Amino acid sequence: MESSRLKVSVIIKLEPDFSEGNVSYNSDGTLNRAETKSILGPHSAVASMAALNAKILYNAEVSVGTMGPPIAEQALQQSQLICDADELHLYSDRIFAGADTLATAEVLRAGLDKMHDGAKSDIVFSGHRASDGETGQTGPQTAWKLGYTFFGNVIAFSVDLERRLARVTRLVPIQGLHDVIEELEAPLPIFITIHPSYKPVFTTVSQRLTFFKCQKEARDRSALYKDYLKTFTAQTLGVDPKLVGLPGSPTIVYRVEKIPRAKTSRMAEIVDGSNRDQIKAVAKKMTDMIKVK
Amino acid sequence: MSSHGNEIAPSPSLETSDGKYRHLYVVMEHEDGNLLQVNFEMLGEARRLMDEFNIRYSSEEKVVAVLLGHEMRSQCDKLISYGADVVIYADNPEFKYHRNLVYTRVISQIALDKDCSAKISARYANEFQRPRFMFFSADDTGRHLSATVLAELDSGLASDINKLVIDDIELKHEHKTKGRMEKYNKTLEMYRPDFSGFLWTTILCLDNRHPDNRRDYHPQSCSIIPGVFSPIPSDSSRKGIIVDFAATLKPADLSVKILNRKVVKSPIDFDSHKVIVSFGRGINESPEENIALIDNLRRELDAEVGISLPISKKPYNISNSKLSAYITPERVIGTSGRKVAPSVYIAVGISGAMQHIAGMKEAEFVIAINPDTDSPIKDECDIFIKGRMEEILPILIEELKELKAIVEVRS
Repeated sequence: MESSRLKVSVIIKLEPDFSEGNVSYNSDGTLNRAETKSILGPHSAVASMAALNAKILYNAEVSVGTMGPPIAEQALQQSQLICDADELHLYSDRIFAGADTLATAEVLRAGLDKMHDGAKSDIVFSGHRASDGETGQTGPQTAWKLGYTFFGNVIAFSVDLERRLARVTRLVPIQGLHDVIEELEAPLPIFITIHPSYKPVFTTVSQRLTFFKCQKEARDRSALYKDYLKTFTAQTLGVDPKLVGLPGSPTIVYRVEKIPRAKTSRMAEIVDGSNRDQIKAVAKKMTDMIKVK
Repeated sequence: MSSHGNEIAPSPSLETSDGKYRHLYVVMEHEDGNLLQVNFEMLGEARRLMDEFNIRYSSEEKVVAVLLGHEMRSQCDKLISYGADVVIYADNPEFKYHRNLVYTRVISQIALDKDCSAKISARYANEFQRPRFMFFSADDTGRHLSATVLAELDSGLASDINKLVIDDIELKHEHKTKGRMEKYNKTLEMYRPDFSGFLWTTILCLDNRHPDNRRDYHPQSCSIIPGVFSPIPSDSSRKGIIVDFAATLKPADLSVKILNRKVVKSPIDFDSHKVIVSFGRGINESPEENIALIDNLRRELDAEVGISLPISKKPYNISNSKLSAYITPERVIGTSGRKVAPSVYIAVGISGAMQHIAGMKEAEFVIAINPDTDSPIKDECDIFIKGRMEEILPILIEELKELKAIVEVRS
C-alpha cells in the first residue's frame, strides 16, 4: 500500500564549493564569493545518502527541499542523483533573502508540510551544518517548529515500521573529556542531522540489487530533474511574510570587519629554509624539546 | 508564545519598554554529573559583563546559572563560587543524561517562569517576562539545545561567539525601525569569527519596532566557543542562592529512551603526543606528495596530525586512503575544532588565521614552515623556517633520522 510507505524528507543547501580549482580566496584570506562556484554542500550530500539508505532498506518515498535562489535547483538535482528522490522542492522568493536561522526554519517548516502531498514526513534528514554558515542551528530549529523530536550527530539509524519506532545512534564529542556513543529510541516522526562520518549500510544481496536499481533510476531522474521539481513562493507556501526573510529574522548582521591581528605573542627566530645547517639546528632543538619532558 | 499582538505600542526608547527583560541566564552542561569547563568560562564572562552592566545602568540584574541534572545539588555552590548569583536547579532522574527534547522543554519553562524570577530578584518580580540575555555552549550539545530553546522562545540566536560587548546602539534598519534612527539600549554585540577565520561578524538580536511588524525578540542569545573566555578565580565565600525548580513534564516529553550509552576514546589523540604537526592550504602545489611528507615527519617525531579549518572542507582529491584520512573535521585545530597544548607544534603551510592561533597558542614551542614572512603565523612562532615545504621537509626528516641514529649508536 502506497500510503503506508515510510516518508522521508531531506533538507539541503547550495553552498560554496571549497574544492581546489573551484574555490577562490581574496588576498586577505577571506572567501571570494563572486569567483567561487556553488555546489550541493558536503553535509547535504551525506544527508542525501542517509535518505537513499532509507529508500533501500524500507522502500521509503523520498522528497528533497531547499530554500534559495533559482540556481539552488542545481543542488536539488545533485541530491536527486544521490538519493533517487521522488520529489524536489525549491522554496524561492525574494522576500526569503537575508533570513537568519529562525526565519529560514519557518520557510522549511512550511515546505516540509507540503511534501509527500501534504502527508507528514516520518523522518527528516538534514546536514550537520552548512560549510559556509556553519551555525548548525537551522536543522534543530526546523525540527522544533515541526514538533519533531530532534537528534543531532547521528551516525546510524533504523526503523521499526510496525511499531513506528526509530532507533538512532549518535556520536557526541564531549569537550575536553571523551566521545560518547549513545543509542536512543523514539516514536516517529523524528528529525535527524547526520554526522559527517555516517556511512550507509546495505549488506544483503537484495539490498545491493536495490542500490544498483536506485542508482540507475537516480541517473535517469536527475537528467530530467525538472519533471520532479516544484517551486514555491511565500504565497504558495502560505507563510506569513512577517515571519520569513529579513522581517522575520530576530537577528541582524550589524557589522563585518577584519579580525585584527593578535599582538605578537612570540619573537620568531627566522631560519633560512635553504640552509641545511640551520635546519639541522632546528631538528636538534625539536628533539631536545621532546626529551626534556 | 511571544507577547506581541494587541499591546499598545510603547515609545520604544523609554526605559520602561525593556523592564520586562531581566538578567543573564547561562545554561550549564554536564557529562554524567561532571560539570564541563565551559560552564566556568561562560560564568566568568557573564560576571564581567553584568558587573559592568549593573554599574552603568544602576541596576541589580543577576547572573543566573541554569542546571538540569540528577543528584547534582551539591555542585550548585561551585557555580556560585565561579560567579553565578543564582542557580536554578532542576533535579530529576530523567535529567541524568542530556536529551534535547526534555531539556528544551524544561529550560524554556525556566526562562519564562515568573515564580523563578521572583526568587531571583524581588525587585524585578512584577515586570519580568523573559531573560534579557541567554548563553549556551557552542559544543554540539549546546548548539542543538540553544537552537531548539530559541525556536521555542521565538527569539534570536548567534552561534560560535568569541567576543561580547553590551552597549547602547543607535541604528536605522529597514525592517527593525522602518528606516528611522532609533536607540536600542542594553544591546548585546555578539562577535562571531567566520569560517575563514579572517572576518568578524557582529550579530545583534533586536526587537522589531517597525509599526507594521512589532515583535519582541528577547532573550538576546548566543552560543559561546569553549576555551575562549577565562573563568574568574573561584571564591567559596561568594554569596548566592539556589532555586529548586520542579519541572512540569508530559509523557511525550519523555518519549526518547536511552537504550545504550558508552564512552569511547577518540582515535585522534592530541593530548598524549608531545608533538603535533599541522598543515594548511600551503600544501596546495602538490597536496598528496606534501601530505606524504607530513606523514613521514609525523612518524619521525611520533606526532599527531592536525589541520587548519579550510583543509577540513576536503579541497583536494587524495587517492591514498591513509593520507586522505587526515582530512577530517575532527582534526581541525582552532576555535571551530580542538585546542591543543603540545611541547612542540609544527605548522606547515598554515598562514595563521586568528581562529587557528586560538587553538595552538598554548603550545610550548612553535615552529612554522612557510615561504611568506608576512603571514600572521610569523608572530605566533618561536622558529620561522622561511621556504617551501617541498624542499624543507625532506631535509628536516633526514636530519631527525640522523639524530636518532646517533642516539641509538650512543646507547
